Amino acid sequence: MNIAIDQTLDCKGLSCPMPMMKLAKAMKGMKSEEVLEMIGTDPGTKSDLPRWCNKSGNVLLDEGELEGGIFRFLIQKK
Amino acid sequence: MAKLCMGLFSGSLDKLTAAGVIMSGAAADDMDVEVFVLLQGARAFIKGNENKIDNLAEASHLKGEFTQALKDLNVSTWYEFFEMAKEMTNVKIYICSLAGKIWGGEKLEDFNGLVDDLCGIGEYLTAAEEADIHMFI
Repeated sequence: MNIAIDQTLDCKGLSCPMPMMKLAKAMKGMKSEEVLEMIGTDPGTKSDLPRWCNKSGNVLLDEGELEGGIFRFLIQKK
Repeated sequence: MAKLCMGLFSGSLDKLTAAGVIMSGAAADDMDVEVFVLLQGARAFIKGNENKIDNLAEASHLKGEFTQALKDLNVSTWYEFFEMAKEMTNVKIYICSLAGKIWGGEKLEDFNGLVDDLCGIGEYLTAAEEADIHMFI
């Protein structure tokens, strides 16, 4: 899947609830249909982020796990 | 917009931190938050007291480990969580007028910058009745 990324948010090392706060803040500053790449290491984010997208109406385009316990998400602003 | 109502009775470091985390989660979810600070909680909101709070409500014999872990994990202070949540969403913090008096706060100026107003207990109950989520900490 080849998706153009407009912004990257690095949340590695941050604990809940900071990744979700930073995500919400970053998404507020983005334009409709722009794509944010979020990477993080907090296991809470794994379930919290899809739930947040579902609730806020933003689109979770992709989620995966990189090496070293790092999660990666691609979220498109609604 | 969904609304969270919190009765914050506790003024201990662990419970204030929990309140801050929950409020921050609510802010990330774009919820409105109303906090009603009761009895022991009001002590933490007296001007100048924010950094003096160091007692735990639970597992107080493990205070050293707890505070060290918060530091090691780079967790924000309870006060910073409250500030961040206030910046992000509509968070109102009200001090129960009786609670304020107990700890020497009679007027709004006696409290720190997080506090929006003093209130009576009836306002708390009405807010709890109207909220989507109500919790007592």
